[in-house]
Formats: sequence, structure tokens, C-alpha cells
Amino acid sequence: MNPNTMSCPLRSGNADVLLSYCAHMLDEERTELLERHVAVCAECFALAEQQKSVWTALDNWEPEPISAGFDAALFARIAAEERPSAWERWTAPVRQWLSGDIGWKPALSMGVACLTLVVGIYLQNPARPDVAAPTVKIEAQELEQAERALEDMEMLRQLEPSAETEEDKRL
Amino acid sequence: MAGATIERDAELMLRVREGDTQSFAVLLEKYRGPVIHFLQRMILNQAVAEELAQEVFLRVYRSRANYEPTAKFTTWLFRIASHLALNHIRDGRYERNQESLDEEVREGMGRQVASLGPTVEQSLVRESKFVEIRQAIQNLPAKQRAAVLMHKYEEMEYSQIAAALECSESAVKSLLFRAYEGLRAKLAHLAG
Repeated sequence: MNPNTMSCPLRSGNADVLLSYCAHMLDEERTELLERHVAVCAECFALAEQQKSVWTALDNWEPEPISAGFDAALFARIAAEERPSAWERWTAPVRQWLSGDIGWKPALSMGVACLTLVVGIYLQNPARPDVAAPTVKIEAQELEQAERALEDMEMLRQLEPSAETEEDKRL
Repeated sequence: MAGATIERDAELMLRVREGDTQSFAVLLEKYRGPVIHFLQRMILNQAVAEELAQEVFLRVYRSRANYEPTAKFTTWLFRIASHLALNHIRDGRYERNQESLDEEVREGMGRQVASLGPTVEQSLVRESKFVEIRQAIQNLPAKQRAAVLMHKYEEMEYSQIAAALECSESAVKSLLFRAYEGLRAKLAHLAG
């Protein structure tokens, strides 16, 4: 192959070289080689001309101006994200302890304090499961007595009319 | 994009990782324009483009702790931007917005034209060109559109575009060739 020429990019499946040439992205040496080829290849010449036209047309598309408050809004969002939530604030000591930022001594003290508190509460109000039992027994006895009294009263009531009838008969 | 620039960006990002927010401000100042303009041309809606650009920079900031300069900073940045834009288009939000936004875009264009102070005829020619270009880009499939915008306006190399779009370099060449083929058919007459 002649070092001063190159194979046709379109025929060799390297059309991207032509795109890079039109985008001025080739180095000087390759640009010169391609320019020599384009000058003698009608197909590449036509494509390069059209591609340059597209390139120029796209240059006309100017972007719109950016909002003045863009940076401020972004930094406000960053600040909001960095602000810890209520949950994070409450759980921070535990997380710090779990991550090893806080040593064992404060945790041990905290544990002892909690234990003392629990024992204190227990001693103040100890559980008395056997206290309720007599009350239940007493209540049961009272109910039995009341039932018996009612039965007696019923019996008396049944006896009363017959006594009256006997007296009436005598009169 | 020069090597020195890339190194500088990575260096700034590493400083952000160490907690230097000033370095983040420098990166924002440098890439605010390119990212927003890329998204504007992808989405064709100024407000949505800025909203997505905020998300891009927010993601960069959020990822600072895990940042490793394995890829070029711009490639990483445009990977996030194109990912968000393609998702936005895929979800159909882009299509729903287009009709109502056409008017808005023309108004914006009108402002641009007016600010240059040309004659009425020049303004009309310019406006007509703008509509044709916008329409031609809008008609490209989303991935071709992203490839063209990164190639044309961000001057990114094929390898960078491939990394940003998470595809092979040959796929990018093919995307670009097909995209420009379509654009040549529609826009070649607009030169000058």
C-alpha cells in the first residue's frame, strides 16, 4: 500500500474515520491522508461535504441560558440531605456505639444504671400473685351464704300462705 | 479533552471525597453548562433538564465517599447524565411533555433570536433552521441522540461515549453512523 494514500473508508467499513475527519478529531497526519483520498474519491467527497453541512447546521443550535438559582437550589438539596433526620438523631448514640466510636465503659455504666433502675422498680412494687387467692375464696363463700339465705327465704314464703289459710278456716 | 484536565478533575473529586466542598463547587462551575446543555438537547425541555442536572450533581456528591478515579471524570459524569435522560425518555415522561413544551421551546428560541438583533427575515430563517434541527434530533432514537450530542457538543471520543452509554466502541460507531446518516438526509441543506 502506498504510504501517501489510504484505502477508501466507506468501502473498508471505516466510515467513522470520515466522521472524525469532519469533526476535526483526527491528528494532522491522518487528516492529510484522508484529505488526499477525499480529493479523488467521489463517494467520500460527497459524504464529507454533507457531513460538514450537518456539523455547521448543528452549530446553530444554541443552548438556552441556565436558571440563576441553579447552584443555590442544588446546595440547598445537598444541605437538606446532610441534615440528620429525627430517627438518625435519636439512634445516633446507639449507632456510634455499634460502629465502635464509643468505648465499652460508657455502655457498661449505662447497663448498670438500667439494671439498678429495674431492680429499684421491682422492690418498690414486687409482684404478689398469692394475695389475690384468699379474696377469691372469700367472695365464693359469701356467694354460697347468700344463695342459702335466698333459699331459706323462699321456703318461708312458701310456708306463709298455708298458715294463713289455716287461720282463715278457723275464723 | 486533555489529559491534564482529566487528572485535575479526578484530583478535585478526590478532594471532595475528603470533605472539601469547595472542590465540588469548582467541578460544578466547570461542568454545570455542559451537563445542562446536554440534557436540554436530549429532553428538549429546559425545566426538566435542570431538574435532571440537579440529580446528576447530587449523585456525584452522594457517591463521593466511594469515588475512585478509575474512569475519566467526564465519562462518569455523562454516564450518570445519559442514564437519567434515557430513563426519563423510556418512562414516557418525555413524550407526554413534548406537546406542551413545543411552545415553550419556541418562546425560548424567540428570545435568543431577539437578543441577537437581526432583521425580521433573518430571524425567521434562523427560527426555521432551529425548528428543523430540533425536529431532526428529536426524531432520532434516544441512544443515537445521546451519542450524537456527546460527539458533537462535548467532543467526546468514541471510547468515552461507549463508556458513558455502557456499550462497545463499535456499537457507538454504528450508532453514530446511522444517526448522522439520518441527519445528513434532513439537515445537509441547512449549512451556511
